[in-house]
Amino acid sequence: MLRNWSCNPLVAFLRLLFICLLVQVAPSLIAQTTTGVIRGTVSDESGRAVANAAVTATSIDSGQKQTANTGPDGTYKLELPTGNYRLTFESAGFKKFEISATVGGTVPEVVDAKLEQGEPANGNPAPTQQENLPNAPSSSATAPSLSDLGLSPEQTQGNAREQALLDKRTHMLKIHQRMGLITTIPLVATVILGPGAGGKSTSTASRNLHVALGAVTGDLYGITAYYAIRAPRIKGSPPKRGPIRFHEAMAWIHGPGMILTPILGAIAFDQKSNGEKVHGIASAHGAVAIVTAGAFGAALLSVSAKF
Amino acid sequence: MNKRTLIVFLLAALPAFAAVDSQWLLQESTLTYHVSHPLHQSEGVSHAAKGKGVCHAGQCEFLIAVPVKSFDSGDSNRDLHMLQVTRGAEFPLVTVRTRLPESDATASTINADLEIQFAGQTAHYKQVPFKVEKQGSETHITGTIPATLTDFKIDPPSLLTMPVKNDIPVRIDMTWHPQ
Repeated sequence: MLRNWSCNPLVAFLRLLFICLLVQVAPSLIAQTTTGVIRGTVSDESGRAVANAAVTATSIDSGQKQTANTGPDGTYKLELPTGNYRLTFESAGFKKFEISATVGGTVPEVVDAKLEQGEPANGNPAPTQQENLPNAPSSSATAPSLSDLGLSPEQTQGNAREQALLDKRTHMLKIHQRMGLITTIPLVATVILGPGAGGKSTSTASRNLHVALGAVTGDLYGITAYYAIRAPRIKGSPPKRGPIRFHEAMAWIHGPGMILTPILGAIAFDQKSNGEKVHGIASAHGAVAIVTAGAFGAALLSVSAKF
Repeated sequence: MNKRTLIVFLLAALPAFAAVDSQWLLQESTLTYHVSHPLHQSEGVSHAAKGKGVCHAGQCEFLIAVPVKSFDSGDSNRDLHMLQVTRGAEFPLVTVRTRLPESDATASTINADLEIQFAGQTAHYKQVPFKVEKQGSETHITGTIPATLTDFKIDPPSLLTMPVKNDIPVRIDMTWHPQ
């Protein structure tokens, strides 16, 4: 039944065009599987370059390490597979400095480090807020410290893994947002061309164009949904509140709608191609498409009003 | 008094030199950050700050700490995004340190030099004005810290390619109680 629709050369051409377009507009998608660069400058507290400092990048996902040394001007450069890393800066006479970084693959990540003078590194884990305080322990004998405030260790100690998850979540949701906006273009065009494709005086060309745009919309929608569904969940997050609840509720309408609409559309396409009037379940194609597009638009607007 | 007795006396006296004269505890607090975007304004509120002040020899040293996670803007998605851009999982606390003359407790306004640690960075704010109100034994302090994103090297979040404004003023409303 769906043979005519799936073999449509216009659909194939527009899908190819879409792939080319995707490569242009969403380089971050490609970056998922390529390499990127972290570079920066290591200096001391007075701003002078620290030469020959060891900069080690440890992959948070795989544990693999890569090390580079700073040059005479304090600069370094590491070429790494995309992902989340823990960067460690070590140099004799300075305290070890650690920070998280994400290699995106498109733009070099610039991570500068300012090393504090002190004892050499002793292999401590991720820094805590307490250790990061420049005047902790206090400069005076009476000044209060964080331990005086009765904060729990969970509240004072940093968690590099959670930070990496947050970074990954934001990265994926940014792509989700971008792809959602891009999807809107062929979605609106498909809806606008809908009446011309299914009415009494329709031409094969307008029907083919409608089908092709619908196919591109479906593909883009699938990518958009993937980046939302696969974005990491953060353990211990508070219950969802605000516009995101409406945004997700809308997905329960436009998600099934995006599956149902092309199925109904394919049936309608075959009926029209056979010279029949669109009938039966296929006659719901237009209504389902309108509801789906409306829910998609509402979902988009609900989060666009906030940041 | 021989030399050994003198040393023993001085060592025994050291804790007395470091002893505190009085202490202050943060009883209630409301910290509110404000973010501006061309399309939208939003605020995040925390009541979870903890603080202590220790006074000695006419000077009081204060430390206030608030978990970054405790700020609530009414939108869980935005709060998680805020946590990410401020590296709140890696640096979970905002700490504020200041040193004030003990006599300021009776003043109607104080100007405090603040050292704030946030997002792994330290920023200093000079002479930030605060209003002081005595309510019985409690002291109520209100004011606004003129913080900016660049002070803490935070990349501004953006919506529809438009970044938020650099200014993120933080309103402070605290009630301190002497111990």
